[in-house]
Amino acid sequence: MHQQLNSIETVVKPVNKIEVEASRLCIDHLSLQLEGRAILSKLSTTLPATGITALIGPSGAGKSTLLRCLNRLYEQWQGDITWGGQSILNRDTDLLRRQIGLIGQKPAVFPCSIRDNVIFGLSRQQRRAIADEEIHEALKQAALWQEVEHRLGEPAEHLSVGQQQRLCLARALILKPDMLMLDEPTSALDPRSRDIIERSMMELGKSMPLLWVSHDLDQARRISNHILFMCDGKLIEQSDTESFFNHPKRIESREFMRWSVCDC
Amino acid sequence: MILLKPGLYLITSFIALLVLAVPFFLVQASAPFWASAGIKVLTGTEWFPYEMLFGMLPAIIGSTWAILIALFIAIPCGVATAIVTTELVSSSLASATRMGMEVLAAIPSIVYGLIGLWLLLPLLQSSFDLLSGHSLLAAGLILALMILPLITLMSMDALRLVSNTQREAGMSLGLSWEALLFRVLLPQAWPAIRGGILLAMGRALGETMAVMLVVGSLDRMPEPIMNILQPAQTLTSRIGREIGEAAFGSIHFSALMACGLLLALIGLSISLFAHTRVVKA
Repeated sequence: MHQQLNSIETVVKPVNKIEVEASRLCIDHLSLQLEGRAILSKLSTTLPATGITALIGPSGAGKSTLLRCLNRLYEQWQGDITWGGQSILNRDTDLLRRQIGLIGQKPAVFPCSIRDNVIFGLSRQQRRAIADEEIHEALKQAALWQEVEHRLGEPAEHLSVGQQQRLCLARALILKPDMLMLDEPTSALDPRSRDIIERSMMELGKSMPLLWVSHDLDQARRISNHILFMCDGKLIEQSDTESFFNHPKRIESREFMRWSVCDC
Repeated sequence: MILLKPGLYLITSFIALLVLAVPFFLVQASAPFWASAGIKVLTGTEWFPYEMLFGMLPAIIGSTWAILIALFIAIPCGVATAIVTTELVSSSLASATRMGMEVLAAIPSIVYGLIGLWLLLPLLQSSFDLLSGHSLLAAGLILALMILPLITLMSMDALRLVSNTQREAGMSLGLSWEALLFRVLLPQAWPAIRGGILLAMGRALGETMAVMLVVGSLDRMPEPIMNILQPAQTLTSRIGREIGEAAFGSIHFSALMACGLLLALIGLSISLFAHTRVVKA
């Protein structure tokens, strides 16, 4: 594992401050109703330019829905979401989704080889022109390279769930996103796979903003620099991780940390 | 209740025997014909029962043309309709389309034949300056209309079965709608769509009444062989038209049974192939 992590560290992109500032995501009074029910209500925040922001809260708080709004899988919201100063609704949807990668809870690999899965999101011309080194680099960033180095032509379905999740990560990373959103990416994984993904994401978080939905408070404390605590579609508290866990400002946050439930 | 299980076994055994009895009956009924005419009739081009000429090639070619025309029209139309209804329009419109297709599938074939007589033949006659509209093209078009609902409904189900996780994964990678369709949805739905196409082929092959009314029932080879605007004959229309005239037990009757056996064998092969594909899908 240490070898894997060393290889991750060598391939992380250097931070360009201007690029980072240009890719900040701001949410302003975001509300969403689905089938007459308020799922998100007047949510406002600005994500830090780098580091991992953990989005925590009880089930049904609207965490995954928020990610879908940011990725434009839902578009019927009110309020504003800006990316680099421009509303995401005015941006090209396909380009936005490449810039803001989304990794789901369940890995979704396509029925083709491991190599073809990695380059699945590229255009036909890009797929033809891509160098093997770029594919290897994406797999290294996702901490999967050593396990698939000699089996890139095998069907992706032959990989374990943890490996498939990292393959999805490599598939998103090869698009060179400016930000990554992860929707409980380790909830279905064994502890070893979870640790590998956590460490590779912590490395990536040094160069880009990551928004990580998690039910696991220990994990949120372990990996994140910032916390967004949501409950019942509202943003209850946001602060840096240390302050949130040591000095929570809101009673709901304290209750959630103690009982993992919230009475909002 | 003690008799329930034995009763169920008895019924199932009876059905299994029936399934085996149908091909056995066809082989038995056509045996005198095969014994007297031999296998060479499959390539013969003359069918004059009263002169003991039983060339089957024109009907085989007629059936092949009719099915090819039907598939050429119904596959793109059916799959396109399925894509639009499952991916592009609202769920209420999709439900209405589905209901419409189910109604089309339930219409008896003779009604399609009558529609063909009333609308299609005059249209073809005037469009292509034909003596009458009876032609392989008319048969193919009517068959296309008849198998369209089956292909559409199977394709709709196949596309709907592609998981949302896969769709969202494709969308999250920034794939355009076209790329999502051709690289994620259709490849994953294709095995089931292919199964639907094979089942539709089976139906088209066995269709008699509608085809009989529009094909012209002329026992000769198309000239040239690509000419689909001539009246022709198919295996089913020949059986439908002549079975009433053939004396029971005669060689003519046996020859028609041989046409039935040929159809059954082709249909059985398609069904078995389709079944394995649908099960795999």
